[in-house]
Amino acid sequence: MSLAIPNGLDNTVEKPGQRAPLVLGDTTYHDITETVCQVAERPPSKSWVAGFLVAFALLQMLGLTIAYLLYTGVGVWGNRSPIFWGWPIVNFVFWVGIGHAGTLISAILFLFRQEWRTSINRAAEAMTIFAVACAGTFPGIHVGRAWLAFWLAPYPSLNLWMWPQFRSPLLWDVFAVSTYGTVSLLFWYMGMVPDLATFRDRSTNKWRRMAYGLLSLGWSGSSRHWMRYEKAYALLAAFAAPLVLSVHTIVSFDFAVSQVPGWHTTIFPPYFVAGAIFSGFAMVLTLMVPARSMLGLEKLITIRHMDNMCKIILATGSIVGLAYGTEFFIAWYGQVGEEQFAFTNRAFGPYWWAYWTMVTCNVISPQLFWFKKFRTTPWIIVVITIFVNIGMWFERFVIVCTSLSRDYLPSAWAYFSPTWVDWAMLIGSFGLFFTLFLLFCRLMPVINMSETKSTLAKQYHMAHLDDDHAAATEH
Amino acid sequence: MSASETATETVSESEKKIHGVTAEFTSVDTLLAACRRVRDAGYTKTDAFAPFAVHGIDKALGIKPTVLPWIALIGGVTGVTVALCMQIWMNAIDYPYIISGKPFISLPAFIPVAFELTILLASFGAFFGMWALNGLPRFSNPMFTNPRFDRVTDDTFFLFVDSKDERFDQAGVERLFADCGGEHIDTVVEDDSPTKVPSFLIVAWLVSVALSIIPLLIVAKMRVTNSSSPRFHIFFDMDFSPARDAQQTTSIFADNRAARPDIPGTVARGQVQDLSFTTGIEKLSSNAPKPSEHLVAFMQESDDSKTTGGAAQKSVMDTTVWLDKNPRKVDASLLERGQQQFGIYCSVCHGMNGGGNGLVNQRAQKLSQSTWIQPSSLHQETLYSDKYPDGKLFSTITNGIRKMPGYAGQIKAKDRWAIVAYVRALQQSQNASIDLVPQAKRASLEKEKAGVEKRLKEEAEEAQKKAGESKKDSPKPA
Amino acid sequence: MSEHAPVVVKPADHEAFKLPASLSALGLPLCIGGAIALFVGLGLGYSSVSAKFGMSAYLTAFMYCFTIVMGSLFFVLIQHLSRAGWSVVVRRVAELMMMMIVPLAVLFLPILATLFTGEGVLYRWDSSTFWADAHIADEVVANKTGYLSQGFFAIRAVFYFAVWCFLAYYFFKKSTDQDETGEKAATDQMQWWSGPAVMAFSGTLSFAAFDWVMSLSPMWFSTMFGVYIFAGSILSAHCAIAAGTYLLQSKGALKDEVTVEHYHDLGKLIFGFVFFWTYISFSQFMLIWYGNIPEETEWFFVRQQETWVTVAFVLIGLHWLLPFLGTMSIHVRRKPFLVFCWACYILVMHYFDVYWMIMPEAYSGIHGDAYATAGGAIGVVSSLLCVVGMAALLVGVILKLATQTKVAAIRDPRFRESMAFENI
Repeated sequence: MSLAIPNGLDNTVEKPGQRAPLVLGDTTYHDITETVCQVAERPPSKSWVAGFLVAFALLQMLGLTIAYLLYTGVGVWGNRSPIFWGWPIVNFVFWVGIGHAGTLISAILFLFRQEWRTSINRAAEAMTIFAVACAGTFPGIHVGRAWLAFWLAPYPSLNLWMWPQFRSPLLWDVFAVSTYGTVSLLFWYMGMVPDLATFRDRSTNKWRRMAYGLLSLGWSGSSRHWMRYEKAYALLAAFAAPLVLSVHTIVSFDFAVSQVPGWHTTIFPPYFVAGAIFSGFAMVLTLMVPARSMLGLEKLITIRHMDNMCKIILATGSIVGLAYGTEFFIAWYGQVGEEQFAFTNRAFGPYWWAYWTMVTCNVISPQLFWFKKFRTTPWIIVVITIFVNIGMWFERFVIVCTSLSRDYLPSAWAYFSPTWVDWAMLIGSFGLFFTLFLLFCRLMPVINMSETKSTLAKQYHMAHLDDDHAAATEH
Repeated sequence: MSASETATETVSESEKKIHGVTAEFTSVDTLLAACRRVRDAGYTKTDAFAPFAVHGIDKALGIKPTVLPWIALIGGVTGVTVALCMQIWMNAIDYPYIISGKPFISLPAFIPVAFELTILLASFGAFFGMWALNGLPRFSNPMFTNPRFDRVTDDTFFLFVDSKDERFDQAGVERLFADCGGEHIDTVVEDDSPTKVPSFLIVAWLVSVALSIIPLLIVAKMRVTNSSSPRFHIFFDMDFSPARDAQQTTSIFADNRAARPDIPGTVARGQVQDLSFTTGIEKLSSNAPKPSEHLVAFMQESDDSKTTGGAAQKSVMDTTVWLDKNPRKVDASLLERGQQQFGIYCSVCHGMNGGGNGLVNQRAQKLSQSTWIQPSSLHQETLYSDKYPDGKLFSTITNGIRKMPGYAGQIKAKDRWAIVAYVRALQQSQNASIDLVPQAKRASLEKEKAGVEKRLKEEAEEAQKKAGESKKDSPKPA
Repeated sequence: MSEHAPVVVKPADHEAFKLPASLSALGLPLCIGGAIALFVGLGLGYSSVSAKFGMSAYLTAFMYCFTIVMGSLFFVLIQHLSRAGWSVVVRRVAELMMMMIVPLAVLFLPILATLFTGEGVLYRWDSSTFWADAHIADEVVANKTGYLSQGFFAIRAVFYFAVWCFLAYYFFKKSTDQDETGEKAATDQMQWWSGPAVMAFSGTLSFAAFDWVMSLSPMWFSTMFGVYIFAGSILSAHCAIAAGTYLLQSKGALKDEVTVEHYHDLGKLIFGFVFFWTYISFSQFMLIWYGNIPEETEWFFVRQQETWVTVAFVLIGLHWLLPFLGTMSIHVRRKPFLVFCWACYILVMHYFDVYWMIMPEAYSGIHGDAYATAGGAIGVVSSLLCVVGMAALLVGVILKLATQTKVAAIRDPRFRESMAFENI
């Protein structure tokens, strides 16, 4: 009942006409269950505990700095006239961008029937939700009086007797990010229910069984349920796909509907979306490459998966590069003085170092993925994707800070310098992200078992087809 | 668990109600084959249980498609309608106000939120609709009474025929399952475990509900009652500003004055000392007659000039001691500056040559504006320096006259003096004799003059000729 | 899964893979008729309305065909890049269409000729008096004319066509050679080259969009314009592939190979790209509308005058809303005839899109008409003759080309997979 695939097989090579396997080794359905469940069932490893402690400490730092900020006021940030957006918005856009890979893998790759997504989508979706949580923190505190942030909601206020301003892109953002967070959460949770049922059925401890039993909502695997479930999954994927595009599009509107030189350019929507996918995939790879070997998931998350993701990084990185080039060209072609200045200032002004860091990391470093060697060597992937993450942070920094620091009024020009609070919050947000991610690895199924099993079933089926074909041609 | 054991168990539990019969399969293909046989045998109340979605099983079991897409569609349509109505009502009807010049109903700006709410409600429709249609969450399920059923979420497929099926016959179903290659053919009994929710859960639920409404009750109470005690101040220094008023004292400075005196050596904006340079009046502060009379006369200046209507003499009422001489050194660079400033500020009305026919005037004439007063020509005798001292001209530029506004706000004092110098030069240019031109340049000037005269003459002749021709061509008036 | 009949691949010389005789007979008449219609249309517009109008109508027809052809090229590239299995049975249709970039290079010559034969016949910047009349600063003019000059424009156009013709020829040749040899390595090679090819494609298409369409309004600029052209292009190409495949099937070819599953997939992609087109065009409009800077709003302003506002509303209602609702349902997508109808409908709408992009610029500027007109009945007739003529001409060439090849990439190693493909 199993299809023997040698463990050492290089499944990045695909003979045309014969699909390379996505599940390696002499794997059965039960093996998939075992491989995934052992991650959560065995006692935590020392490295997990160490990692969790560090992440948790950073999370405390984030909490303390936020408390300090709320107590003292937003003046403790480096935000000064005219750079009122500063790091909080840089971090916000950065994290929202990271949050794009999960739903993209789940939704768009699902719609395009890219089956290799099955073993990475769960963790990527989890990252989406955690990244959106990190992202939501920053505008939440950037409003200054965080306890009045509910004024953004269109509720009938007895105090104000007025409504939010729906013609403002910042309000669109509130709707976009919260919708995105909600739908991603539903999508993630729904995908997890059958696997939580597996956890329930395997658990020996009464409390564990009860907890997973509640979370899995009494899932029984009935084919009627499966049919509606699949339909709902496809529908959610179809809704989430344009949603992913819309979220970063609307984030880009925050910038592009203004008249600030360097922000007001029509390519922003697709360019932000490409950049978001780019950074999201980079983050997924940065985490999944070490995780797969630490959690023993090599047979399910294979080199081929990483190879494919590297290709997407290469493609989106090139789109981003093309967008940088187009912006420069049109700034020159349009012959509008302010625009030209904004772009020259980016590359050769006081922030030249940030600009060239961004170009090196975002445009040049992913070009290494043209070579298969780089796409299939885990440590190189990690190094390059970390560079990409750094580059994408700098991209947002460049957009926010260079344009704001030198706009139409030269007498107001300034240079942005972050304070220790800015630094602590940026680092602390990684603490929040990693704390949630490490907890997820311990408590939830890190790989979508049911989908991986159906991929395996298809693999069996294709093998039979090939056998039939071979038999047929012999006649 | 072997087959015989199961059989004995069934016997011992025979008083329990039978829910149906299951068989286990280990591969998709055998399951699908069995499903088809069960379907073809005419059973309708059947189900298959699998660890993943088996493609094609709905056809094999004859399961009808779901209405879920319609629920999602209703969600989506609701979302778009609610979002558009909400935004239009809130921003255009209930509380209309203008933002960045956009119309009250700015459809493009309403699209993002409309889109997001469409997706949100459609997703809610798909998500909650799916669980509702599936009848989940449901924690008590007869299938779960079979301990082997735990493997359905791992690697085993179960086929099930319900005892409520019209054609249900336990032995027949078991035989059919065996024929299809099903293993571990089992009867499933109804779940008779107590359905009562444990009392501690109910208590915990009630307590949490009770606790969670406390904050809401507090808020509600606050909203409808008044309180005599002051509210809690989070930002004390924002609610009670530490800034002092003018006559208050402070402990920060040694002299205890909250209002600080000027720092020695600083000059406030607009308090430059040299008054004659900025007014055009000689020694304004210590002038001969009486400063008060002088100032009254100064303030009445514009009214006087209106009544005298540009008399050829210095106004008798004008007792002001104007500066006669431009306080700046008059040289080529000053004149150049004056020319430039004149070109920017004065020429639009007075014309480049100061003749009073600038572009604005031409336009006003064209539009036949009845209220328009033609700007003065600067080449009137009354405006020459003997009648109209430099200081007075400067003051006119500074404060305006008749319809002409004052230019103190736009032109710096030193540039106003440059304009005065340039106006003098313009006036000079209209009355200059050839003697003023340096000897070396006279010849070329004469030559140019001759050329211009010749051209004018030619043009005049041509025009005459043309006029004659057109008279000939045109039909004679009746 | 195993319920279906086993997939049987017919032998390569089977009738199903030949262009049906009824279609191949149409090749020459279509070529001739198309050429005549194109010539008449151009002449009518040129003489009866104005030279500028005639050439603009010609450019509209050209861009209409060009976008479909470029979309097909992209379709082929992306199928190779993603090692797609499902699309193999319909890929040849796209391959045949992408080869039309070669005749299009010839059809571009009249457009290029306008630069050298007259003053601003088509492009306003080509007129020596334009810059002075529009009161544009000398420094700006110096920079602008450095890029928008006859010589440089021509060099760029030649370069773009060289790249595209090379790409199209390479992928066409490899694929048709595989029909004979069945060489699997060809598939690998095409996959390898598709990566760099996509990059070359996107760079050149973007700049061609700037050069040929955006520069009709010389001072206007939008960074997204290339993506806008691409969005219409990929949408119309999918429609053309669906329509072409349906026509082939209705005449008897590929009867068993292309199944309802392929139409379902094409239908889904058409639906998706309708959305994508809307997304891109809305984003472009939104940013310019909201920013409200005169340099940029000019383009939309002109398109909100007189006739053009009608076309704009047609685009919103009939290019987005109607096909969006129409292709949403699975029941529509699983009926090949309905997919065919919607594909044809969107191809018509695509003409409105291109028309709206180009024709409002057909006015003479400062000293002439303030806004362009549709040229009255004669103008409409000549515009339509141009596009129908050019499309017919190219379809004729496709049919001619198809008689020399098979109508499916029959020996592609993934052909069997494609035939057996099922939507989940």
